[in-house]
Amino acid sequence: MTEPRHIPVRVPVLARVEGEGTLELRVHNGAIEDLRLRIFEPPRMFEKLLEGRDYSEVPDMVARICGICPVAYQMSAVHAIESLFGVDPGPWVRAMRRVMYCGEWIQSHSLHIHMLAAPDFLGYSSVVEMAGKYAQEVRRGLKLQALGNDLIRLLGARSVHPVGARVGGFHRAPSREQVNLLLGKLRELLPEAEDLVRWTAALDLPEHEQDFTCVTLRHPREYPMNEGRLVSSHGLDIPVDQFETRFVEQQVAHSTALHCLLDGQPYLVGPLARLNLNLDRLSDPVRKLVNSLDIEFPSRNMHHSIVARAIEIVIAIREATDLLESCQEPRMPYVDIQPRAGSGVGCTEAPRGILWHRYELDAEGKVVHARIVPPTSQNQSRIEADLRESLQNFGPDRPEEALRRHGEMVIRNYDPCISCATHFLDLRINRWPV
Amino acid sequence: MNRRVHIIGTGSPFGDDRFGWAAAEALRDSPTLNDDAFRWIEVSILDRPGAMLPVHWQAADIVILLDAVRSGVAPGTRHCLDARNLPDADMLCSSHGFGVVSAIGLARALGNMPSRLLLRGVEADPSWSGFCLSPAVADALPAFVGDIVEEARVLSGFYVPAAANRG
Repeated sequence: MTEPRHIPVRVPVLARVEGEGTLELRVHNGAIEDLRLRIFEPPRMFEKLLEGRDYSEVPDMVARICGICPVAYQMSAVHAIESLFGVDPGPWVRAMRRVMYCGEWIQSHSLHIHMLAAPDFLGYSSVVEMAGKYAQEVRRGLKLQALGNDLIRLLGARSVHPVGARVGGFHRAPSREQVNLLLGKLRELLPEAEDLVRWTAALDLPEHEQDFTCVTLRHPREYPMNEGRLVSSHGLDIPVDQFETRFVEQQVAHSTALHCLLDGQPYLVGPLARLNLNLDRLSDPVRKLVNSLDIEFPSRNMHHSIVARAIEIVIAIREATDLLESCQEPRMPYVDIQPRAGSGVGCTEAPRGILWHRYELDAEGKVVHARIVPPTSQNQSRIEADLRESLQNFGPDRPEEALRRHGEMVIRNYDPCISCATHFLDLRINRWPV
Repeated sequence: MNRRVHIIGTGSPFGDDRFGWAAAEALRDSPTLNDDAFRWIEVSILDRPGAMLPVHWQAADIVILLDAVRSGVAPGTRHCLDARNLPDADMLCSSHGFGVVSAIGLARALGNMPSRLLLRGVEADPSWSGFCLSPAVADALPAFVGDIVEEARVLSGFYVPAAANRG
């Protein structure tokens, strides 16, 4: 019998559940003089925890960083390590990784749309309250979330912190019977997902355009997910291994999380950035759906993020359907690995935006150094810039409760991985003269 | 006809939070519940289901939810609650912190509550970590499981032979 491994990951897990966000405002004569979003980003600790661990342990360990987007952490990790080892796991693994990622996009986006964002726009304090009048919509959201979980489970054995992915592929391939079952559900829920897009686009979303830089992966043919170059709306176009030449993380005194900047400036990652820069990568049916909406993309209104998420659910359902329809059961679900020393980079599109990993391994495949740059850290400066502009427009002299609610709504557009914390946003206003 | 009873053990792999799983696993191994006479009783194990919890109990008449509890009393203390006596959900729901009370609130709003929802748990030891139960909670487990077996037997109604049901 194998001895249980004791990996001290309990602190980050608790911190995610109990984390807090604090918005500090300093208002002078009706103008915002200073604004600070204080958040806590526990994944930093994982980089140290990974040191000395075997490469084969990395996918399961990094999956524990987040209960909502574990697949993203696994995917960035396996791509980084495989690039180091010079491994190509082949077309079946590539396709199934994309399927698994589709599952995560579907469940994460559906959860965010219904649990977090929609109540804001419909005037409710929670989905529980909203479900009274919008029961059908909430049921649809739960069905889509369950579909996403099922897709993750198909390849990951379980939906929370899945364990199916490994460097070189998957531990096992799903049976044709399991695939067919999922295909039936995907086909059944596609029309509901398309309805969801139209529903989000019909919400009474605030009109507020801003100027910001979008950053995403860009693939020659596909809507980006696991592969591509790093591009921006301001001309950036670099391979992912050059990330550190342009993107710099810096410490700020008011937050334990690092703020990542592109050439010293804030930028946006996530569904709206992805959609804005990859409209020409949409399939014909999705493009037709997007063109039928009253919203024009690319959009500079962050409140359109909810619509972008719904569109990405449709993209993911169609993509997973196509990939599962054409997949053949492989002879082996993974390729063998021969470790070697070196450094490898991986960058994939987590539901919340690009997730960049770099690993330095020794000749035995043990981690010497790891660096993980999550999307929430990349969006932080952008969130602060948005809050400053949005709250100034909203009126900093409004009552604290109104400012808190508006601030939370702005933050939730980014779906930060401190979503739980931003619902408990503690607002501190220092107004002078009083 | 017997009423369908669904026993759901929820939790995570960590420390005493796995109590619901351990109890459900023991129930699955129980000779009583494995008897054909109690095929109306289903036992499930769920890993932090959050808002998806009501989806899992959709077909059940009676649900018994097994979970670790933190209320500040001594570790190992038994908790017995009926959802009818629980207040409305805390409205501060989030993606990470969507707990049992929020899930019940959502089920109420969606009209998706079973006729009875019983919560049965044991107080966790907050100082305990690792991948097994604390001594106090592990000690409480056998009697807890035995009582759940008895409760489920009574709740599911009287035994109807399989042949009679097929008619």
